[in-house]
Amino acid sequence: MIVIDSASPVPPFEQLRAQLAGQIQERTLAVGTRLPTIRRLAADLGLAVNTVGRAYRELEEAGLIETRGAAGSFVSAAGEQGRERARRAAAEYAAVIAGLGIDTTEAVRIVQAALTQRVPEVS
Amino acid sequence: MLRKVRPTELETARLWLAARGLADVAPTPMLAARLTVRRRARLAAAVLPAAFLCANALVYVSALPIRPADDGFGTQRRWSLVVLTALVAGLVVGLSLLDRWVRRVDQQAGAELPRRATHSVRPGWRTVLGGPRAVLLAITYAGAAGLAIAALTMREGAARYAAVVLLIGLCGVAVGTAVRLRHVLTHPVVAADEGSLRADFLMRVEDAREVAVPTVVWSLPVVSVFDTGLDPWNTGWLVFIVLSVVALALITAGDGRRALAAQHGPGAR
Repeated sequence: MIVIDSASPVPPFEQLRAQLAGQIQERTLAVGTRLPTIRRLAADLGLAVNTVGRAYRELEEAGLIETRGAAGSFVSAAGEQGRERARRAAAEYAAVIAGLGIDTTEAVRIVQAALTQRVPEVS
Repeated sequence: MLRKVRPTELETARLWLAARGLADVAPTPMLAARLTVRRRARLAAAVLPAAFLCANALVYVSALPIRPADDGFGTQRRWSLVVLTALVAGLVVGLSLLDRWVRRVDQQAGAELPRRATHSVRPGWRTVLGGPRAVLLAITYAGAAGLAIAALTMREGAARYAAVVLLIGLCGVAVGTAVRLRHVLTHPVVAADEGSLRADFLMRVEDAREVAVPTVVWSLPVVSVFDTGLDPWNTGWLVFIVLSVVALALITAGDGRRALAAQHGPGAR
């Protein structure tokens, strides 16, 4: 289910993007699932077509959905592959940490520092 | 803006929800208004085809030959077919206007909601209408058209005229049904939360199933081809009608059992 609250300070396109992204990441929306068309979703949620289009565009840029021409938008397998890559990298990192004899708290702190440094580059 | 909802309409909405296992959903004025307009539109949508059937019968009878020897399509019959085509167009326009009325009330209800909810994946026609119903609908129309076309090519005189009258009526009803089904399957969701989204889905299912009942297809032969008595053709029609009525009754009973199981099942709320 998608809910758009017009009284929320969060812009409607961001509400929509965040909910769809969350459902894709939680696998409520499985890979290959066909999403509603932009026009239909806009009519259902009482939003402008451009608002829904922007949310879909951002999801597409994040690799979570893909648009196959007139067939519509589908949940992409790229997000799933990205998650698998992250899992593999984490396993490699854990192996390095164990080899160097660094304790878990320190290892987590290193990751957090790396992520904090990374965020400004991404946004 | 939605008109003021009467307490009886709210009570009807509460009973409607309770009968569908949604007793936990509050009967809002929005839901009451949507159910009321559907009830009225459904009544009008039943009266319109009934009026169409009466007019169809009058048109058919008005152009019947006075002597059995009179065959072919004279001027009177040609005019009667023109009138019938106009009646068919009137039926389709009338049904479309009823749908527009329902849609307008839905739009007004949706515009007043501070929150809007919808499905991430919209239920398709198989979920809303049901595969067996869709197949039955297609078979009923195709079967009726097939019988009418066979009568048109193989029979003579008044029987051919009856088949033409039936075919024109059938085409009109098929177009009307297609327009209404498209409307039911594509019109926007009107919901604010999970409860009203479930109610909206059930309303859509009921609307679609109501539209998909081929009552007019069963009635059309009665006002035209059945005037020749119980010959083999009309026996064929009777068997066809009885079989499709039995099939629909079985499908409806099956749906009822499944709905009951869903309400009382472990996952039911």
